[in-house]
Amino acid sequence: MKILEMNHIKKSFDGKEVLQDISFSIEEGEVVSIIGPSGSGKSTLLRCATFLEQMDDGTLAYCEEPVVTRDEETGKISYPPRKKMREVLMDFGLVFQNFNLFPHYSVIKNVVDAPLCIQKRNREEVFKEARELLAKVGLADKENAYPCELSGGQQQRVAIARALAMKPKMLYFDEPTSALDPEITAGILKIMKQLAQEHMTMAIVTHEIDFARAVSDRVIFMDGGKIVEEGKPEDVIDHPQNERTQAFLKKLSY
Amino acid sequence: MAMLVLLLAVSLLGSGTGIVCNTKAENDDKTFIVGFDASFPPYGYQDDSGEYVGFDLDLAQEVCDRNGWTLVKQPIDWDSKDMELNSGSIDCIWNGFTMNGRESDYTWSVPYVDNSQVVIVKADSDIQKLSDMSGKVVAVQADSSALAAFTGEDATKENQALCKSFADLQQVGDYNSAFMNLESGMVDAICMDIGVAKYQLESRGAAFRMLEESVSSEQYGIGFKRGNEELRDVVQNTLFAMVQDGTFDAVAKEWGLTDCVCLADHVPDDFVAQTGDKKEQKAEGKKETAVSAENAENTGKSPVKSGFFSIVKQLGEGMLATLAIFFLTLLFSLPLGLLLTFVRMSRFRVLQWIARIYISIMRGTPLMLQLLVVFFGPYYLFHVNLPYSYRFYAVIIGFSLNYAAYFAEIFRGGIQSVPVGQREAASVLGYSRVQTFTKIIFPQMVKRVMPPVTNEVITLVKDTSLAFALAYTEMFTLAKQIAAAQTSILPLFIAGLFYYIFNFVVAFVMEGIEKKLDYYR
Repeated sequence: MKILEMNHIKKSFDGKEVLQDISFSIEEGEVVSIIGPSGSGKSTLLRCATFLEQMDDGTLAYCEEPVVTRDEETGKISYPPRKKMREVLMDFGLVFQNFNLFPHYSVIKNVVDAPLCIQKRNREEVFKEARELLAKVGLADKENAYPCELSGGQQQRVAIARALAMKPKMLYFDEPTSALDPEITAGILKIMKQLAQEHMTMAIVTHEIDFARAVSDRVIFMDGGKIVEEGKPEDVIDHPQNERTQAFLKKLSY
Repeated sequence: MAMLVLLLAVSLLGSGTGIVCNTKAENDDKTFIVGFDASFPPYGYQDDSGEYVGFDLDLAQEVCDRNGWTLVKQPIDWDSKDMELNSGSIDCIWNGFTMNGRESDYTWSVPYVDNSQVVIVKADSDIQKLSDMSGKVVAVQADSSALAAFTGEDATKENQALCKSFADLQQVGDYNSAFMNLESGMVDAICMDIGVAKYQLESRGAAFRMLEESVSSEQYGIGFKRGNEELRDVVQNTLFAMVQDGTFDAVAKEWGLTDCVCLADHVPDDFVAQTGDKKEQKAEGKKETAVSAENAENTGKSPVKSGFFSIVKQLGEGMLATLAIFFLTLLFSLPLGLLLTFVRMSRFRVLQWIARIYISIMRGTPLMLQLLVVFFGPYYLFHVNLPYSYRFYAVIIGFSLNYAAYFAEIFRGGIQSVPVGQREAASVLGYSRVQTFTKIIFPQMVKRVMPPVTNEVITLVKDTSLAFALAYTEMFTLAKQIAAAQTSILPLFIAGLFYYIFNFVVAFVMEGIEKKLDYYR
């Protein structure tokens, strides 16, 4: 089953086309890495998929259910009402580059608040799962700490736990290690690798090429608002066909 | 938007409490509201027990007793007296009120006091006669008869010329500050009513003296709203009756004003009091006058200077009023400010602009002016007469509307300073708009706005004194009145101390709240 399907997505900021007719889908259990230079539209694509940006044109479906639809005659696209939208939001989680934990909530409250207040799930069950998740990301002893008391790497682990607590069908990562030191990065990547082994569906915008090669089922290279090259990691990363892909990867290897 | 709230509040008050009528005769509740400047002894001022007393007020009380009315003594800001009278928030101005030059502005009673404008200088001053004042700085009370004697339309040529020869004619708010000016040498002479001058000289001792020449002579009457002859006649006839039975002169004697009263000259020969035997009373009255003239010098009331704690006690009621303004303003302006923030940050351009214009006006004009508009606006704009109690509501409405504008901008800054990532994280987790605001944005905003809000709250403590513009007797107004009555600056010093302690507590509490919110960054 296709968890996400986006077709002919277009998005401009102030007349500058950031996404030029992009189509993109993810199968259940698939791990897709999106790489490319800054300003190529990777993050915007992710933000359109998570409704943080409204696209100008195109269609979008989650779990094969249409969400953003397009009237073929007028060419106008329409988003569902807010209530339906909030149901769709339960299908995925997003991990930000700069974590965006709620600073006034303790670690455990950051993790349990949305499942309790938005999904209205059973309190005991939510707390039990939250503690298991914190243990999984190695922060079992930090549940009463506040985000400002944690290191960047620890905060990102909490953010991953917070996203997983919603039991999403897929996870997005928007450059999850770009704000972190290399040593701390390794810890986060290890957790993501583990998630990949558990067959969590993931779309990852990243600059960690080695990591992308190791965990991805598919790699997408974007440049200038277009998907330039797409395929198995060993093809795209090790034997790129496109000039721009070659140039980008060559620069990274220095 | 908040202007609408104001209008709504005003109309609710108007319809809810019933409209007060202009003339006493139509007024069912039988209250008689006398407007007076509470720092004008011996006509009307505050004594050391905190009561409003004075010659005029005693007369007014007697008039009310005889007519079965309830007397309300309403201290007013002298500059607003016409607005107060026209809007019906007072029934008359009875306060050593000079008729000369104002003949056509009010419906007057006959004159009851004949007064003159005299000049007070320091005992060691080189000013001996009026012409010596050339090149000197002279102080008068704002909008007083002394001022009118120099600059009014009906001022004599001599007085106008005299005035031109002054280095400056300075207007002061009350006589206490006039004397502080004179004492400190900032002015060389003060021109004032003779009755006031005598009182001041008596209480301040030998440091000052009065010039023998007087600037002008004038008469005091009771001023009613133009056209309100009905009420004027009732009050005037009662006064005539009081002259005839001797009560009037007894009161004059009590206040040491026997020299100046002149009402007896104006009682019509054919006047018959509605009750009692006329001739006998009149004869007794005349006798009494003769006696009191002899004793006048010795029986005038002189001010008693109170000690520190006694003044604090007198100020007590004013402190409560100040606290009431402070807490009620916070109670209303904080939520109103938040509401205004929402309007200001609304998606609808029109609403945004309404809030912008409102905030711009509220921040761009003086709070004192806004208070006057809130209080007098209903009458001057819509001809609605508001009930007596509106004075207090007007203070609270005025302050709340003004502070809401400031709080709205502080809140907006606070909301905008919360990183956009917070909103995005909440959005992806499925929080609704309301949940995002109440659970995520609002708590973080509160922490961020604490320092500027503390500033604003501390300013509010001091701004409460602006309620004097509506003659609402909060502590500072009271302190000024007591200072005037006791001819001392101690009450003002104590008022300052109170504000400082109040603000010290406010700062302490706000710091405590800030510390409580310090558990996260």
